[in-house]
Amino acid sequence: MASTLSAQRTGAALHKLLRLPPPLRQRTFSVLNRPQPNYPGHVPLNFIERGALAIGSAFGSLIDPYRHDLIASLGEATAKPYFVTRLRHAMISHPTGRRILRDKPRITSKSLSLEKLRQLPENTVGRAYAAWLDSEGVTPDTRDPVRYIDDPEEAYVMQRYREIHDFIHAITGLPIIIEGELAVKAFEFANTVLPMTGLSLAAIVRLKPMERKRFFEVYGPWAMANGLKAEEMLNVYWEEELETDADELRARLGIEMPPNLREIRKKLRDQKRAEKIAREGEK
Amino acid sequence: MAPVRPQSFLSLPAPLRRAVASYSLARAAYAPPLANSTSIRAHSTESSPHNGHAGSSVNETEVSHFNTLASSWWDPHGSSRLLHLMNQHRHPFINRCLSTAPPLPPNHKRKYLDIGCGGGIFAESAARLATTQSVTAVDPTPEVIAVAKRHQRTDPLLMEPGRLTYHNIPIEALPLPTTPADGFDIVSLFEVIEHIQQPAPFLRSILQHLKPGGWLIGSTIARTGTSWFTTKFMAEEVLQMVPRGTHEWSQYIQPHELKSWAAKQPDLEGWQTMGVVYVPGFGWKEVDGSESWGNYFFGVRKKSLEE
Amino acid sequence: MVLASTHPSSLRAARRLLELPPAVRRSFWSTASAAAIERKPEIFDLVCVGGGPAGLSLVSALRSDPATKGLKIALVDGQDLTTSRTPGNEGFSNRCSSLTPASLHFLKEIGAWNNVNNIRTQPYHGMEVWDGVSGSKISFDPVDQTPGLLDSLAELVPGSRFAASKRKYETGDPTTVATICENGNLTAALLQQLKESGGVEILDKTKVESINLGPEPENEEALDLSQWPVLTLPNNRQLAARLLVGADGANSPVRQFADIPSHGWDYGQNGVVATLQLDRSFTADEIRTAYQRFLPTGPIALLPLPGNRASLVWSTTAPFATKLKQLSPPDFIAMVNAAFRLLPIDIDFMLTHHESVSPASELAWRETSTNSKSLGLLNTFPRVAEVQEGSVASFPLRMRHADTYTGHRVALIGDAAHTVHPLAGQGLNLGLADSESLVKSIAYGMETGMDIGSCWCLDGYNADRWAKNNAMLGVVDKLQKLYSVGSGPVVWGRSLGLDLVNKMGPLKGALMGAAAGTK
Repeated sequence: MASTLSAQRTGAALHKLLRLPPPLRQRTFSVLNRPQPNYPGHVPLNFIERGALAIGSAFGSLIDPYRHDLIASLGEATAKPYFVTRLRHAMISHPTGRRILRDKPRITSKSLSLEKLRQLPENTVGRAYAAWLDSEGVTPDTRDPVRYIDDPEEAYVMQRYREIHDFIHAITGLPIIIEGELAVKAFEFANTVLPMTGLSLAAIVRLKPMERKRFFEVYGPWAMANGLKAEEMLNVYWEEELETDADELRARLGIEMPPNLREIRKKLRDQKRAEKIAREGEK
Repeated sequence: MAPVRPQSFLSLPAPLRRAVASYSLARAAYAPPLANSTSIRAHSTESSPHNGHAGSSVNETEVSHFNTLASSWWDPHGSSRLLHLMNQHRHPFINRCLSTAPPLPPNHKRKYLDIGCGGGIFAESAARLATTQSVTAVDPTPEVIAVAKRHQRTDPLLMEPGRLTYHNIPIEALPLPTTPADGFDIVSLFEVIEHIQQPAPFLRSILQHLKPGGWLIGSTIARTGTSWFTTKFMAEEVLQMVPRGTHEWSQYIQPHELKSWAAKQPDLEGWQTMGVVYVPGFGWKEVDGSESWGNYFFGVRKKSLEE
Repeated sequence: MVLASTHPSSLRAARRLLELPPAVRRSFWSTASAAAIERKPEIFDLVCVGGGPAGLSLVSALRSDPATKGLKIALVDGQDLTTSRTPGNEGFSNRCSSLTPASLHFLKEIGAWNNVNNIRTQPYHGMEVWDGVSGSKISFDPVDQTPGLLDSLAELVPGSRFAASKRKYETGDPTTVATICENGNLTAALLQQLKESGGVEILDKTKVESINLGPEPENEEALDLSQWPVLTLPNNRQLAARLLVGADGANSPVRQFADIPSHGWDYGQNGVVATLQLDRSFTADEIRTAYQRFLPTGPIALLPLPGNRASLVWSTTAPFATKLKQLSPPDFIAMVNAAFRLLPIDIDFMLTHHESVSPASELAWRETSTNSKSLGLLNTFPRVAEVQEGSVASFPLRMRHADTYTGHRVALIGDAAHTVHPLAGQGLNLGLADSESLVKSIAYGMETGMDIGSCWCLDGYNADRWAKNNAMLGVVDKLQKLYSVGSGPVVWGRSLGLDLVNKMGPLKGALMGAAAGTK
């Protein structure tokens, strides 16, 4: 009796489900009947899971901005329905972006020989990239794979966005410390309109008052102006630009060099130290 | 309608006051259809002061009124628009009347006499029909006959000899047929008898033009409050769709008056009637029963010789 | 009498002129100085300028109606109507039309449909229309009759409009949405019908040199044709028309003669047509479907023809249309397949960069990276395999509507009265409906002794058709504008609209009924 009742209920639920429009219907599976992945490493999520992922990763990354896995998840959870599609469409409509989508190149320590890059002439994009990786102590492989975006091509766009992130650091010369990271994120937000890049600007609250003032007066405006006017970073075939002069590429893409953050900070630090020494000398 | 008391009359707005006054005057001027309510106006033996032609049905004030209307007969948006629209209902009504009698021979072509043809709205349309042999149209008003003739010239079909002939004469001046068979198949009287002062002798006299088995077809307006309101007050005063003075409400004839007149004529049979109502924006619509209070068509047949 | 005698004759002439309708008055002025008509013109009851489907069906219908059979009619066309405009058995003409059941009913009634080569026509039974941006779709599938909420409501309210519309849709001919017929096939049939019935003077290969008002009468008693249109043909032949019908296309000389303004706009789009071959063949009794995808650059439609053939109507921007016509056949085929399958931006890219990219190769890799289901593509959608040689052509798309269809002794039908975007496939059907309505008005005029060139006869036609056509033109124009939007809230809204319509059986029935032209 009870079993027929529950069977009826399931039947009714199923019927109700089938009357939903197809896009909604796809998204109402439970954890027990998760659909097949669309590409290796893909994890199909339903609405609730996607929402939970977005909120959880947002809190997590705010608490610990170095949890890049959480930042990555946040990025994926908030990229749909619109933003990653917009980037994909921007790439489809651009001859180079379209070529990248067709070739689907990956930036890893295997695909790029850092040794060779270090041999390139001074001020080339590749040399700057290698120098930047070296100075920050990171490798191209420290990027998380995309897991939560359903469309394989959109997943690739997200992956590509992550992998070129370091190139943006390299050609803007902004360091990986929070202040530099924020400037790059702001630049990327203006350039890609991905919500995650905007959300991560919430980390401004973690800046020291001095840094925050500098962000609002110098780096924020620079990032917005340049991010908006520059070409889509995703439509740059970075692998083909390694030997290009960095100034030439910046000029072609419409990016101005930001004030050197590292130098400003060093200058300030030296100044403070000198003041301290002077104060101690007075004593 | 109750008599209007002076103080309440004065409290009415001016245009309404005028309308009510003209209605009251019309009531006063009109002698109710005698003691015998089923008879139509008796033929007065004395000439009325309006009546110029002795022995003619023509009322001179009516003639001069239609003279001034002449120029707008064929203007699609002029004051004759309603007549043009009504004309579409005339032929179906004639066919309906004819269908009640034994059918005519298949190739029989009809001869029409249109009395009070005006600018020729009906006469032209009858002359164009494939079933028509000839149309003779008479009207006493010189200017409307001029208009009709001028308009006839714009259609080569109507210019065919003998197809359509206009005569600027009162009907009394039209020679009578020499033999009954020379008479007309159809004698039409559209929107005419309300303009005639003594309808009974007039109708009697025109029957002489009908061939035995032929039809007298006409249309007019019933003399009711509704018809006064629509034709005098609305059409002439408020909407000014037709010029003021077009209608003389007291001369309107009730369908039952006509019917009982026809019943008394020994040579007539087969009374037919059809009421039509004008719906602004749609034109004339046939409405069953409306003949007793508004515009209506009537048809009556002259008995065949063998009957 | 008093009035007449006080008016000098010149004043009377001026007054007579002022009595005319304004349009005629104007054309009188504009043609008063034109070459005087010397000879006595031949008099016709009706002269139809233009031997397209609208004009031919009008004349054909007049011949088949007992009330109008006796009219003296001439049909004038500058082209040679006798040479068959349909290609041989090998191919199909690129100019095809969807005939609605209402149009078909009219053509059967006048007897012309019997002469149509039925092997070359193709009825279709379903319509798949989808939004190229969002993938939302509306399918008009006669087999799918699942009841929805509105159906239940419609059943609860007896005699409701929903119920009626659904009933109409079901009882009509639910299996046929429309029938594709080559325009040449139809005109040949109408012409044959006319030749069999006779009684119409067909003056083809005859250019109308001018249309003027007739001569002033010689005297006060003579025939007065001064308000009759008189056509001057080669060899100084002159035809006076009691009623001049303009079935002479979008740039109608008859409309210009009558001085009837026509308003509208150009869409900046071109319609690209072609005859295609599909990768599979259909037998005569198979269920066939017409497909239409709305792209932001314009809709693309694939209409079924017999066997493995199909007719393409692709409305797109003028530059894209030019490029499409330049493509080699394999590239053209790839572009058509891409236009139904890929993202709108892919199609734009391929047409913008057609010199540097190969459409076939682009289509191959983009298809693997495109989720066709999310774009609304059906898995039953056929693939285009070949394009018939020389069948790719294009024409500019316009919206035009004459202010009125009638003037003194003038009536306009078909494209002379209105030009419509082809997205609803209504152009020819509206023209046939005009003919049917005008014939009805003329027949009524004949029965009641009207002058068939007068406004009393023609007003009924104008009243019947103008508002209906205006509504159809408006809907088609709004659809065109709605679907030209490539992104944003408009796309969401229209997707929601389409999804909702798709769920409401009766509304769909009503739409389908409207599309099928049932009354």
